[in-house]
Amino acid sequence: MAKYAMVINVQRCVGCHACELACKAEWGVPEDMHRTWVKPTHPTALKRGGGLFELVAAFYVGQCNHCDNPTCVPACPTGATYKREDGIVVVDHDLCIGCGYCVDACPYGARYIHPELKKVDKCDFCAPRLEKGLEPACVETCITGAKVFGDLEDPTSEVFKLVYEENARGITSPEVNIGPNVYYVGDDKKVDLIINKFPPRKPELPTPASLFEKLLKPLISLGVVASFLGASVAFFVQLFKGEEKFE
Amino acid sequence: MKITRRKFLKGTALTVGTSLLSPGVSKARRRPQTWHGRERVEEIPSTCEMCFWRCGIIGEVKNGRLVRIKGNPLHPNNQGKICARGNAGVKLVYDPDRLKYPLMRVGKRGEGKWRRVTWDEALDFMTGKMNEIREKYGPEAVALFPHGSSARFFKMAMLHWGSPNFAVASFNHCRGPRDVGFKLTFGTSPGSPERIDLENTSMIVLIGSHLGENIHTGQVKQFADALSRGAKLVVVDPRFSTAASKADWWLQIRPGTDLALLLAWINVLIEKNLYDQEFVSKYTTGFDQLKRAVKDYTPEWAEKITEIPASIIRQTAVEMGVRKPSVVIHPGRHTTWYGNDTQRSRAIAILVALLGAWGRPGGYFMPTKHKTAKCPCEPEANHNNNVCKARGDGKYPFAEEGVPSHCVIEATRTGKPYPIKGWIVYGQNIIQSVPEPQKTVEAINKLDLMVVVDVMPTDPALYADLILPEATYLERYDAPIVVSNWKTPYVAFRQPVVKPLFEAREPYWIAKEFLKKMGLKDCFPCGTIIDVINRTLSPLGITTDDLSKTGVVSFPGNPFPEEPFRFKTPTGKIELYSTRLAAANISPVPVYTPVEDPPKGFFRLLYGRSPVHSFTRSINNEWLNEIMPENSVWINDEAARIMGLKRGDEVYLINQDGVREGPVKVFITPGIRDDCVFVVHGFGQRNPMMRRAYRKGISDNFLISRIVPDPETGASGMRVNFVKIEKDGKVLEYVPRGYEERIKRARAAFIKPEVKIEKVKPVQPAPQEEEEEEGC
Repeated sequence: MAKYAMVINVQRCVGCHACELACKAEWGVPEDMHRTWVKPTHPTALKRGGGLFELVAAFYVGQCNHCDNPTCVPACPTGATYKREDGIVVVDHDLCIGCGYCVDACPYGARYIHPELKKVDKCDFCAPRLEKGLEPACVETCITGAKVFGDLEDPTSEVFKLVYEENARGITSPEVNIGPNVYYVGDDKKVDLIINKFPPRKPELPTPASLFEKLLKPLISLGVVASFLGASVAFFVQLFKGEEKFE
Repeated sequence: MKITRRKFLKGTALTVGTSLLSPGVSKARRRPQTWHGRERVEEIPSTCEMCFWRCGIIGEVKNGRLVRIKGNPLHPNNQGKICARGNAGVKLVYDPDRLKYPLMRVGKRGEGKWRRVTWDEALDFMTGKMNEIREKYGPEAVALFPHGSSARFFKMAMLHWGSPNFAVASFNHCRGPRDVGFKLTFGTSPGSPERIDLENTSMIVLIGSHLGENIHTGQVKQFADALSRGAKLVVVDPRFSTAASKADWWLQIRPGTDLALLLAWINVLIEKNLYDQEFVSKYTTGFDQLKRAVKDYTPEWAEKITEIPASIIRQTAVEMGVRKPSVVIHPGRHTTWYGNDTQRSRAIAILVALLGAWGRPGGYFMPTKHKTAKCPCEPEANHNNNVCKARGDGKYPFAEEGVPSHCVIEATRTGKPYPIKGWIVYGQNIIQSVPEPQKTVEAINKLDLMVVVDVMPTDPALYADLILPEATYLERYDAPIVVSNWKTPYVAFRQPVVKPLFEAREPYWIAKEFLKKMGLKDCFPCGTIIDVINRTLSPLGITTDDLSKTGVVSFPGNPFPEEPFRFKTPTGKIELYSTRLAAANISPVPVYTPVEDPPKGFFRLLYGRSPVHSFTRSINNEWLNEIMPENSVWINDEAARIMGLKRGDEVYLINQDGVREGPVKVFITPGIRDDCVFVVHGFGQRNPMMRRAYRKGISDNFLISRIVPDPETGASGMRVNFVKIEKDGKVLEYVPRGYEERIKRARAAFIKPEVKIEKVKPVQPAPQEEEEEEGC
């Protein structure tokens, strides 16, 4: 099975926003909403030593990271959001109730609620296009070839090379690392700047989910452990005492 | 998965159903199809005109409605890629603010009150007024302001009508000085697309180009490829541009001093014997004069003027010398800056020649011409009688395309050398893109007739007597785009992707109808626009039928023909010493002349582009406006701190003539020098019919209330305006550290040029085949 990933070469990217609009046109993304977006870091003075400064600037191209351990999936109360076997995290609109818990759970702000459909929408690596043998719309239009899409399980693919041989990095922090599959490469200083300026936010697990995660789950676990313990105690008591004969 | 399949089946059923029901079933079937989202759509190839790079596009059409635009993979320039603006073309067609019907002014000029009229009425009015003007003042009293692919039809019609007065925007406010500078040196312009071999180059020098913010798709792709390949990049810019953020050397030059840097580079190449001696002796003339002229322009000298360390100037020059001829020195595009622009462009051209980077891989490549036919319209205008030449002062001898705009505006304001009473404005934003708009408005108020032909209700439309709605590039045919300035030369096709909306009409139709109404001989003998295209292409053996399927046909190119080269200059050689300039009594080798410094307490106003907007044309586009709804003013962080400005503060800019623009947000950044500010061009529009763009951000153009004309071309130098910053009604004071010493040092470094203009016989350049280039 495949494991799809996107790699963005920040040295190639000129921040032209073509990807954002190709995506908008392809999927009818409404005004002020985004499946993919481009944000400038703006010229930033970094210390270089000896009291000198160096200016660095780059563009952060963001989208759903199709994480290995997505926080949006457990946040979804209906099972509409799930991770496919090929790694793509999708939203089943027939099951989505538009509660928005997954929107808060995403560390990358990659999800939005469609104002007309009242369903959650986000990047799905253009899964329907992939089925037809087409590239994701953003990759197709990217004028500098900064966006590379492919299968991380295929050692001949370009993404494989960029991720495993050229140190492409995902946007993670010591607090939040859920295995993003969108990577950045091309210039370490620029990638660092992007990660520092646009760090993943701590996922807010929504009430029902957090209720389940924080309260219900430990309770159930406790219950399971307790009943197991009880059973073992009973077993050993029985073992050492010997069976009592029925009267 | 289940849903996907179900929707897929639904979609297919719907498509099959509609195509069976549709009357144009056979035609529809011939069209190639693809997927848009989960739906089946038709593909129609055409050519973009969101900017004038003119990429190959494919429109995806569903039931006669354009749903998406993508790049045409067969197109040798953009190779299937298009930028944000290209993608946003969909929103141009369906912009609710579009001009829908011919409109006649009912209120006062500029008041914005209109009456809808029929095309018949509109053209009757226009021709009636024009005949009145002709009777009173002669045909040359009507001037044309053209811009865009279809401008040629209006030019032809106006020539036929008898007026030579064309104010060509792309020459006068954009590429004029650069083209002339190269023509004087090499006998040919750098072309559009520029013939630079980024694919093979080992070093790129951008001096006055912010490629990356200026998106020219195929070129930006090659630029990114070159950087990935390890090509070195030098960026000369007072601002930390996107290109600068990718550069090996960012030379934060003092604005206005580029010529000093170029001359110092030339000096180093010559002094260190790093120029291509074989190439220079074989192909150039005037090397000795050049050597003498630049002998004192050392890097140490240039440091005082440019504020770039001499060591960096020397290092970058040596890098170029070592890598020659595989060095691309980009000629720039918008080059009308300081009124010394042809000379600066000459210095760039000379640098290219010294590096032997002409006709050699990694430098400039040669065009591959293919013969096309013309569809002639007999000109009756007398070019020697245009408002500039009729002055008889011999100014602007190299104003090669049309007439300098300021001459037309001046003639309209003053009636000298003769009055201009009618303006036809085709696709040009004369309020927001022609400098000194204050004078432009004054001139408009003296007109008997102003007609605006455009897609959107632009600012000039506000002042028009008559507005004619033009079909967008997605709704019309156009003359074929014949490009020889690409390694794989091509002919591209524009055809309607959708039918024109409302009563918008094809420009060719408008020009032709105009002549018909005028009672002039129909000078478009080819018939329909399709006939024009077929006639043009006949020598190539291709027809519109071929092109309508692929959108483009490419030909084998010969970018590096066998040497020896011939040059279309009077001497047949590359003229380091220009005989044509000498004949015109202008310095035949470039020499440094200082430009005016910002007065104490003022910042120099710089302007430029954003990757998501094309001049003023796209500000109202829903998608592009969403990404960038307004501009902000870049201010140096240290200057901002001293002035007490904080991020997001709103300020006004006041220029040296008291023109005040605002409010505008400040963008505080270490990425700009403290003696200048920068805004993106195109904002601050005045026409309320543009509901998204109206009064968003500020207009750089209104702050350009004066120009310094380039003495060779008459093009308008625009970076000669200075601004102060006002916040909460108070003008903020800021003087750069060491302001007086810095200016004094630079002025002291001025060397009076000792160039002798040798007596030469007036020379005629060799005849040149020109490609029409009507955009910038």
